[in-house]
Amino acid sequence: MNIYDIIFYLFAAVTLLSAFFVVTTRNIVRAAFFLLFTFFGVAGIYVLLGADFVAIVQLIVYVGGILILLIFGVMITNKITQVDIKTGTIHTLPAAIGVGLFTGVIGAVILNTEWFEIKTDIPVSTLSTLGRMLINEYVLVFELLGILLLVALIGAASMARK
Amino acid sequence: MRDYIYNFWQGLYTILIGMKVTFKHLFVPAVTIQYPSVKPQMPERERNRLYVNMDDCIGCDQCARACPVNCIEIETVKSIPGEDLGTTSNGKKKALWVTTFNIDFAKCCYCQLCVFPCPTECIYMTDVYEFSEFKREDLVFDFVTLLPAERIQKKKNFEEMQAKKEAEKIAAAKKAAAQANKPPEPKQDKPDNKEENI
Amino acid sequence: MMYDWLYNLTGSEILAMFIVSLLPLFVFILPFALFAVLMERKVSAHMQDRLGPMRTGYHGILQTIADIIKLLQKEDLVPTATDKILFNLAPLLAFIGSYAAFAAIPFSGFFIGTKIDLGIIFIVGVTGLVVAGILMAGWASNNKYSLLGAMRAAAQIISYEIPTLLIILTIIMLTGTLSLYDLSEMQTAYFWNWLILGGPAVGLQKILLIPFMIMGCLIIYTSTLAEVNRTPFDIPEAESELVSGYHTEYSGMKFAMFFLAEYANMFAVSAIVAIMFFGGYQSPFGYLGNTLGWTWLVPIEQFFWFTSKGLFFVFVQMWLRWTLPRFRVDQLMAFCWKYLIPFSFVILLLVGLIALM
Repeated sequence: MNIYDIIFYLFAAVTLLSAFFVVTTRNIVRAAFFLLFTFFGVAGIYVLLGADFVAIVQLIVYVGGILILLIFGVMITNKITQVDIKTGTIHTLPAAIGVGLFTGVIGAVILNTEWFEIKTDIPVSTLSTLGRMLINEYVLVFELLGILLLVALIGAASMARK
Repeated sequence: MRDYIYNFWQGLYTILIGMKVTFKHLFVPAVTIQYPSVKPQMPERERNRLYVNMDDCIGCDQCARACPVNCIEIETVKSIPGEDLGTTSNGKKKALWVTTFNIDFAKCCYCQLCVFPCPTECIYMTDVYEFSEFKREDLVFDFVTLLPAERIQKKKNFEEMQAKKEAEKIAAAKKAAAQANKPPEPKQDKPDNKEENI
Repeated sequence: MMYDWLYNLTGSEILAMFIVSLLPLFVFILPFALFAVLMERKVSAHMQDRLGPMRTGYHGILQTIADIIKLLQKEDLVPTATDKILFNLAPLLAFIGSYAAFAAIPFSGFFIGTKIDLGIIFIVGVTGLVVAGILMAGWASNNKYSLLGAMRAAAQIISYEIPTLLIILTIIMLTGTLSLYDLSEMQTAYFWNWLILGGPAVGLQKILLIPFMIMGCLIIYTSTLAEVNRTPFDIPEAESELVSGYHTEYSGMKFAMFFLAEYANMFAVSAIVAIMFFGGYQSPFGYLGNTLGWTWLVPIEQFFWFTSKGLFFVFVQMWLRWTLPRFRVDQLMAFCWKYLIPFSFVILLLVGLIALM
């Protein structure tokens, strides 16, 4: 067991535990904060997979942006402390069927995929490859996403004006 | 647009001016006084703790009467004829033994009103301002120079003299009465006489 | 590199890693925080014609140590109405965020936590954890002032991240690297190779770049100043309005954590400015170690130059603190959205054009 294994299990534990708390806690703000740890743990696992850029983007976008916005939204909402979140189980049968199907699909995917190991001790940075691919091969998608975000921005601004 | 750029420039420029001012002050010597080790220069006519120069005090009680908060407590005893109390520095003859001269600095409001009436200028403000105490009673300062035994002695002397005078007076009155009409003798004087002998 | 050296020394991967990860804390952040707190008090005192702490040690040099001992001894108070878990977690999160930034900062060519290619972006990313920590503290304290302070802090940090990122983008575009190590190595040799003076390029491009680089440096310095919540951008703490903002309810060691995080952050942003525009750990006049042929001296010299550059910018932060009054909330937002962001966009575009030339 080398240091990377220890770090992996640490991040995995953080992710799973905080995800568990997110689901079980009755306090909505606490759930939002535990979601932060889930994202953080996932970012750590991305790093261990050699996807450094994705990990950092995960941190910036989810932890630094979306989660903060989420918490802002929750905090600005009126009467947050009185909100009841139902944690009981309802519709057990449909839920069981749905969860069972989902588990089956995931299990099938896991079993049927041909896994291969990348044998590199030091992960190579994906940054420049990613940049080149974004600008060369996937430039249309990239630009479309940019336009989508711009439209969202303008829409938000015009809605805020009213 | 010109205003916008100008605003930006103005903001930057004024910040630099402000920074220049503060940077200059970095090298201006500090005005702080390191208090307990370095004492601040007190102004002239400062008003701090009172002091009574008992050599000059004639026990006239004027300061106690001038005090707006009654923090001065004076008791005096007349001297007996033979005693010489000396004179004050401005030549007045002292006639009273001052047996109590307490100033309660817990009450004192440092108004200096007691200083002006004093005929011999023996009560005045000093430059002592560090006299805090843990008990309120400790703030009562006793300025009398006589020892406690001496104070009792002076009181007793005066009482004895008073009693003697009284006795003499009574004796004189008795004599006069005896000369005027001899027979009746006042009986109630006897216990007085006894007390005097003790 | 430090890690390889320690790996050879100890023979254990895990031990070497632990030592490398703890080094910045014990070698740098703690002494720096002790020194910076004292420096802050002394600088502020002398700028106001006072003396500052004078009693503990010669001219009060032991004052912060005394303060730390006091904070360590304090009872760990947790108000009853707080959200206990989040309340205890918040200072840790804030400190983790600012400490993680030190992993990517090259103190010298020899002493760097990791040479990751994403240096700057990594620092920007983990700084997001500080925001979360602040929000968490504000929420968990169950106190109006704390919550207000936390909201202001979050709004401010999110807004000011935009000009910071835009200027970082400009630098990335110009240099083609995100790694702080490469960025420092690029500005080697003499001070005219620093990016503030146009970088290692020669000719017309260098001269054209200088005004934009100076503007960019000013903008990133201002916006990072706002990100670490220091005066004139200290509205999240604002003693005169909000008691002390998000850490009102904290005392003892947890308060010290926030304090440490704040000072670590101060140095981190100063270091970013120093690395991006002032050559990082590079000496402005070449190295004495190279001239004399003592190669072991070079990393020490680099460490010296890096810390002195960082400390200079920390000093400027303190200097600004005692020069400028606090912004109002609307002024703060107007300054960011109406001045800094348009200016950084203009810089981004024009530097792009110049770089294409």
